[in-house]
Amino acid sequence: MDDFFFSLLLAGISVGAVYALIALGLNLTFWTTKTLNFGQGSLMMLCAMLTVFLSSQGLAIALAVLGSLAVVAALGMFIERWTVRPALQSSGGSMGWVVSTLGFGIFLQGMAAKYFGSQAVAFPDVVFTAQDFVTVFGQYISLQYLVVLAVAVALILAFELFIRRTVWGQAVHAVSLDPELALVQGIPVRRLILGSFMLSSVLAGVAGVLIAQIGGTVDPAFGFDLVLLGFVAAVLGGMGSSLGALAGGLLVGVISKLVGGYVSTAAEHGIAFALLMLALAVRPQGLFGRPEVSKA
Amino acid sequence: MLELRDLSVRYGAVRALEGVSLQAAPGGITAILGANGAGKSSLMRAVSGIAPVAAGQVLLDGQDITALPPPARARLGVAHAMEGRRLFRQLTVEDNLKLAWSFGARRGKLAASLAEVYARFPILETKARIAAGLLSGGQQQMLILSCTTIRSPRFLLLDEPSLGLAPIIVQQIYGFITDYAAQSGIVVIIAEQMATLALRVSRQGLVLRRGRVVLAGAGEELLRGKDGKTLAASYL
Repeated sequence: MDDFFFSLLLAGISVGAVYALIALGLNLTFWTTKTLNFGQGSLMMLCAMLTVFLSSQGLAIALAVLGSLAVVAALGMFIERWTVRPALQSSGGSMGWVVSTLGFGIFLQGMAAKYFGSQAVAFPDVVFTAQDFVTVFGQYISLQYLVVLAVAVALILAFELFIRRTVWGQAVHAVSLDPELALVQGIPVRRLILGSFMLSSVLAGVAGVLIAQIGGTVDPAFGFDLVLLGFVAAVLGGMGSSLGALAGGLLVGVISKLVGGYVSTAAEHGIAFALLMLALAVRPQGLFGRPEVSKA
Repeated sequence: MLELRDLSVRYGAVRALEGVSLQAAPGGITAILGANGAGKSSLMRAVSGIAPVAAGQVLLDGQDITALPPPARARLGVAHAMEGRRLFRQLTVEDNLKLAWSFGARRGKLAASLAEVYARFPILETKARIAAGLLSGGQQQMLILSCTTIRSPRFLLLDEPSLGLAPIIVQQIYGFITDYAAQSGIVVIIAEQMATLALRVSRQGLVLRRGRVVLAGAGEELLRGKDGKTLAASYL
């Protein structure tokens, strides 16, 4: 195994873990409302840009990240209340939310460009700098990548525990299966939906900060194709499956980095979408999507 | 006491229920009878809060709950077993029970409540880890009854508990319902197409036709026929 392959693999896994975070966020709102927030990318961008802004105002980097996450969480609730809910209430089963969430994302992007400028800005080092590394079996491993990987995996595990082990996680699952039954059983569906958008936005925000940490810079256009890659990961793994989100994320991350390294970085995104088309043609339910089990 | 005052339910232009009034006191069963599409389910859905009420009121113990959302009504003690054997089919039997208990009135501990359910329907314990959608029809109905009663309800609404079940299972289900109604002393309302079956165990009955009450009275009375109208005639 040569150094180049190994570094590409590690980069792919780290980036892939972040895609998995984005995919989990998409899954969460898909469970509660069967909608996706296509403005996720702008939330990722905004969270990273705000972190840069707040830390440039002299705030400690940890506080800057937390403050940005709080803003993004509030925006998540705003998105549910004002872009998704009205779209779902108008003429049953409409797809208006696709346009309204995307539109709000573009609005956020425009606001960021107006107030922070459309130039890329350097993202501050959160824990380690790009030069820090450890050596394992003679291979250089970037500590930044390791931190990103550790944070992403820890969050994915925490999220899974929450969904599987707590009654609120079960309630989210219940709402995804039969919202009406959940309502008459006393599950506060409205609050759960609001919470799912909030949590989904926080996941996006964390993903944004992590990716910015790897890339080193952020600009207002950042995040737009990232959320598409997260979407590819979610569909590839099976929409609504957490394990699928993780597997899909890693697959997209590793394959796109390898293609980027050996073929051309211009092909990175192309190959991700080729994967998506292949998956939809061969296995539309995704790697871990399950067909419904039921008896009449 | 559950009370409906001049209740009307409309789905767009479709009038499902028109000016229906009803008083159901605790400690007895009320049967809602009628053919398909008569408005039985709409009446129940209006009580649990998932049908659009166009006019009239729903009162629980004198409190007007017409404007309350479904979860708030559930917290006041309304438990609704919807038609079509609605369960979380992909969740296990035990997870269904846990969810129902968690968002119910929570009298006593979960373990004790589960033990009570399993003592009554041992088959549910055997199948505790199996997806609810894979149970037989009778077992699903047992699970649904258990999910509603594990919530310690004060107002129990059962929509066609006999639908699609073998006669022997229907007897078992109705045996359970009558015992539970007698022991708990709560308000129980059953919507049923098998009129004689429901009336035999009910204190009072109500026959709906195209959303209106066409016959109402004591259970015995309706079985024998009232005001020269027989039960069968009110269906036609």
